[in-house]
Formats: sequence, C-alpha cells, structure tokens
Amino acid sequence: MKGKEDGGLSSTRRRTKSVIILILAIAAALWAFMPFYWALSTSLRSPLETFTVAGLGVPFVQFKPTLANWIDQLSIGETQRALVNSTIVAVFSTIIALILGIPAAYALARFRFFTIKNRDITVWFLSQRVLPPVVTVIPFFLMMRSARLLDTRTALILANATFILPFVVVIMRQTFADLPLELEESALVDGATHLSILRNISLPLAAPAIAATALIILAFTWNEFLFALTIGSRQAVTIPVHMAGAVDTRGVQFWFMAVRALVAMLPPTLLALFAQRYIVRGLTLGALKG
Amino acid sequence: MSQAEGGVRALWKSKIKFAFLIPAVVWVLIFTIFPLIYSLRMSFFNIRIGQGDVFIGLTNFARVFTNEQARSAALVTLKIVVVAVAVELVLGLALAVLFNRVMPARGLLRTILTMPLFATPIAIGYLFFTIFYEEGGLINGLIPWKVPWLSDPGLAALSISMVDIWQWTPFCFLVFLAALQGLSDELYEAAMIEASSGWQIFRYITLPLIQPTIVIVLLLRLAEALKLFDIPFSLTGGGPGTATQVYSLFTYRTGLRFFDLGFASALSYVMLVVVMIIVSFFFRHLRQIYD
Repeated sequence: MKGKEDGGLSSTRRRTKSVIILILAIAAALWAFMPFYWALSTSLRSPLETFTVAGLGVPFVQFKPTLANWIDQLSIGETQRALVNSTIVAVFSTIIALILGIPAAYALARFRFFTIKNRDITVWFLSQRVLPPVVTVIPFFLMMRSARLLDTRTALILANATFILPFVVVIMRQTFADLPLELEESALVDGATHLSILRNISLPLAAPAIAATALIILAFTWNEFLFALTIGSRQAVTIPVHMAGAVDTRGVQFWFMAVRALVAMLPPTLLALFAQRYIVRGLTLGALKG
Repeated sequence: MSQAEGGVRALWKSKIKFAFLIPAVVWVLIFTIFPLIYSLRMSFFNIRIGQGDVFIGLTNFARVFTNEQARSAALVTLKIVVVAVAVELVLGLALAVLFNRVMPARGLLRTILTMPLFATPIAIGYLFFTIFYEEGGLINGLIPWKVPWLSDPGLAALSISMVDIWQWTPFCFLVFLAALQGLSDELYEAAMIEASSGWQIFRYITLPLIQPTIVIVLLLRLAEALKLFDIPFSLTGGGPGTATQVYSLFTYRTGLRFFDLGFASALSYVMLVVVMIIVSFFFRHLRQIYD
C-alpha cells in the first residue's frame, strides 16, 4: 500500500539516491587510486617540475611527461640487482613453501592424526603467521651469522619460506577439504597409492587455488622488509631495501622515489589482481570465505 | 554443521600421512620455534658480543616496564593502531554496504579499491612522504593551509594512521562485502514488508548478523597492526624525535642498531605475549572452523 501511494515521487528519489551512491563509490575508488596516480605523475616529471608543477600535476596539461627518470633508475646496476634478487627470493620461497605446505595441507584435510588433533596442528601452523616478525628477527640474524649466510639470498629464501608456509597449509587444507571425496575413494578402491592420488587427482582439481595462493605469497615475499633489511646489506639487497637506501644516501628526490615506489608496488599489486577471488580467504587465514 | 560434515568426510589412516606432514612441521620448528627459544634465553642475559653473556634474571623485563622510550613506543603504537583500526572498520563497513547495491561498473570500482592491499608497505611509506611533504607535497598543494603533517608529533602519528587506513580499509571492505553478500535475501524481503527504514534494517538485522565477522576482522587487524614497522620506518623514521618510534621500530633499533640483544629480546617477548592474548580470542573461534 505504502509503496503505491508515492510511486511517482519515489522513483525520482530512488534515482537520486543511486546517483549519490555511485558518486560515493567513485570517490572511494579515487581515494584508493590517488597515490598510484601521484607516483605516476611525479615519475614522469623533470626534477625541477616536481617542485614547480602545482596541485594534481596532470601530465600533458601541466607538464610534458618524460621517461628520463625511469630510464635513469632502471639502468642503475643496483636497481637491476635488487630486481633480480627480489624475483629470485620470491620465486624460490614460493616453491619451497608450496612443496612443503601442499602435502601437509593434504594430510590435515584427508588423514586423521591421533596424538595431536588435526585442528590443533592447523592452528599451530596458523599461529606462526601472527607472530610479530620483530620477535624472531634478532635470533634469526644471529643464526644466519653463525651459518655464514648473512647478506645472501639463501637466508632471505629461508626466512620468507617460513613466513608464507602457514598460508599455504591453511588455505590449501580448506581447498582439499572442499574437494569431493568420490574420485579419491574410488581410486583407493582401485589400489592407487595416496601419493599418486594426491598427484593425479587432488592436485589438478586444486590447481586454481594453488595458482592463486602462489600469487598471494609471491606478493607477500616481494613486500617483506624487516628481514631483508636485517640480512641483506650489499649483495642480497631486495627492492624494498633498495628503496630505503635511496633515501638515506641522497635525500628527498621525489622524481626517483616515485619511480622506485612504482617499481616496487606494481608487481605485487598486479599479481594480486589475478587472485581476487582468494584474497578474503587468504587474508583472513581461511577463517572467512569470500 | 562441522559435525555433520565430519560424518561424511572420510579421514583415512595410513602411515604416509607423516611423510606428508612432518617436513613442514620440522621446517617451522627450525626457523621459528628454535629462534623463539634462543630469544627467550637471551632475554635473561646481558649479551655483550665477544665478551660472553652474563645472567641477569628478569632485569631486562623490568627495564621494559621502566624504560622511558619503551613506554612512549608502546603508547604511540597504541594510539596509531586504535585510531587506524577504528576508522578502517567503520569505513570498510560503510563501503561494503555501499557496494552491496547494484551500480554501474561495480566490479571495476571494487577492483580499484583493492589495489592498496598488496602495494609494498615500504614503498607506500616513501610515497606518502612525498604526499604529506610540506612544500610541494600533494595534500598541501591542494589545500590552502600549510599543515605540518610530518614535523608535528601529533600529526605525524595521525599521518601514519592515515596511511594504514588507506592500505587496510580495502581489506575490511572486502571481508564485510563477502559477509553481506552471504546474507539471505528472504530476511530482507521480510524486513521490507515490515516497512522498516533502511537504517533500522541495518541496525537490527544486518549488524547482528555480521557481528561475528566484525569481531574476526577486529582481532586480525589489531594483531596485524601492532606489528607496524615499515610505514613508520619509511614515512617518519620514527620522528620527529622519537614521537612516532613505534614498538617494533624501537625493538629493532635496540637489538640491531645498538646491539642490546638481551633487552631487545625482552621487549619482543612482551610484545609476543600481548599479540598472543589478542589472537587467542581469534583462535578460539578458528578451532571450530578447522575441526
């Protein structure tokens, strides 16, 4: 009844309301995007223009964009080495975490452990993830010093694989638990081994989740700073540490800082875009499905 | 729910389960538990590199509670985290409600909103340094005042909160949006027939239903935000003075810049206990999910 009474009026009102909602949503997206835009705009200016161009600094309108800063920064040997280091560390940490984590996740999803319950093992893995890194960084530093692994990529791979392993276990455990059992059971009846079932049935079915998990943990490893700062000083410098070094030695150079920020941020940001469907589950450690 | 699942779910018995599980367990023991024990031992000693360690009992822990810098580090961390997490939850929920409606380009706008999440924190810190910079920075270039974002102690802490809000509101938004989309339509239709206002529906139906999700997000954000290191390191360097020297940064400097390893270990253990108290609430909830 009430709805019919003011039908004509409410449709205009509803339209106004949806326009307002759209405007608010666009404002929120702009807020999220603004720093990326600012970095891009700054990176395309000459050093002088980073100070003289006012306000939003729209390329082509307020200044003529140049790639000089990009060419300058990317041609430095140090930048290239940091890019190589970051890539190697991220890829190898991810591989180790997947190789160790996937079978463990499968075991927790499909087998029953008796002395310690499955759920307690899972939560134990998870508790590693919430550990403040500053708690382990000092003993880890001393361990690596004794092992003569300071300033090596190996040390960074060991550290990062440890951080991301719980992610793999928790996310993949849920993925395996969600897979239908019938195929695996009938393969068991046919006499297949558990290892071949994991390899030939469960892994292919879980492939999309594995890919998404890999992207998320690659991004995490790429972004890691505290351990990289502590362990890598010259040879094993990663992109985040390289970024920090630039500021200490040369003061505030907006134009270079913008390039470096984008070089650092773009790979993880783009990788994560492909894993959108798994982000909620990944970041809440499997506590919530999204 | 989980019991019914347990009935259907086959849990196999075979020795191979140990071969699957143990490598991962051993790895974590070596690289996490061993350092933790090592660090606990150090916290009872006065460590002097090259001169041997002296056992000093709980002295390092006593210092944590009496040291002026430790106290100010704890307070500023708390201040930054409380402001940031409160705003993230409210803003994230508001955005989720907003995006839970049909609108043009929703997918694209949602994707853009998630971009801050995985952006390298250290890079973000330096980038926001240029955004907050007093002369020629983005914000002061757009507003008619010269706000001392990074040189005023209070504003510097607020700036760190603002960066954290920028990066982590999308996380709250995504989780809340997923929760809202999981609610049943029937409930809303029933509420519409009762002709409640939008606010009443939100207050008396939506909010209670997603309350468990809100609690999880709150605990996760608190545990995560207390680790705060990269942003203060890059945005303010802990300054001006020690105004934004957060707890992790102070611990890091104590241990790895001044090599007061015993004190740093005690500092980190106190932090560990605080974080563990927060996440134990979270784990209580999680155990049920993982059963």
